[in-house]
Amino acid sequence: MIVAVILLAVITIAFKAVGPAVLGDREFPPRLRAAVDALPVALLAGLLAVGLLGPGWRTFDWTVLPGLALAVALRLWRRSPLTCVVAGVAATAVVRALPWG
Amino acid sequence: MATTDAPPGGWRAGFRTGAALGAGGFLLAVSFGAFAVTNGWPAWLAILMSAVAFAGSAQFALVAAYGGGGLGPGLVSAGLMNLRFVPMGAATARYLHGGPLRRAVEGQAVVDASWVAAQRSDGGLDRELMIAATMMQWPAWVAGTAVGALAVPGTELIHTIGLDLVFPAFFAVLLVDSLTAAPTLLPVAVAGAAVAAGACRIMPTGVALVLAAGAVAVTAWQRR
Repeated sequence: MIVAVILLAVITIAFKAVGPAVLGDREFPPRLRAAVDALPVALLAGLLAVGLLGPGWRTFDWTVLPGLALAVALRLWRRSPLTCVVAGVAATAVVRALPWG
Repeated sequence: MATTDAPPGGWRAGFRTGAALGAGGFLLAVSFGAFAVTNGWPAWLAILMSAVAFAGSAQFALVAAYGGGGLGPGLVSAGLMNLRFVPMGAATARYLHGGPLRRAVEGQAVVDASWVAAQRSDGGLDRELMIAATMMQWPAWVAGTAVGALAVPGTELIHTIGLDLVFPAFFAVLLVDSLTAAPTLLPVAVAGAAVAAGACRIMPTGVALVLAAGAVAVTAWQRR
């Protein structure tokens, strides 16, 4: 396990270093720049889907959806990220405390 | 220090943003610490992992896959999960300071939440905000892992009090921010979610995330 931890650290540091170290002086063509600029949105949407569904869709739990919707609604209403997440967590706890939760 | 001519944002905004992100990260780290220990990892090793790797979802992937197959599958899953840092780092490179070595060091500040929070409306990246936000999140991540690993709230308790929502809610909030700043990227978000959802049905989640990154191909179609 200790080897796994060390290798994970090395992999993470290397992956984070290679882009800035190798590509730092280069200008991106507009098309590539647009694609790279869109990366956070694609990855965030992917992280959200994977986080909700889990491997093989085995961890999907509908009781998170009301809390998730509340978090999104509060953010659209310009509440702070922490407020949104905490409210979503609280709403999820409430839903799960209900008889059908 | 580039604080005097920094656009709105900068170090101070980064510390503020990082404090808020760190609070959310702390909750997620508590769940990671508990997850690792309940999967047979010593508490000290879970804490060490958070300290030296600081790799969020990859740490979850490593622990989950290690239990199901050992070192090889664990590292492949975690590595695939972290592959996104290569293009994210490339997109960040032009905004970092110094030569290759310094940029490689500053590039360690690239974590999902800080990187997204540092995106400016003009398409640039606020280097100071990203670094400051990451500096705030790292101790929160390590401390949260320690609390989770040493106190070990049961998975039943995590479920009951809704802590498992932290991860998706956090990314949903960041996604709202990104789409508010760039509404034209909505098709990219839809495509990314669809690809990841379809892929994680039959593939490791790390692979699904890498494939989701391919949704940026939509931008090429939009520019035609």
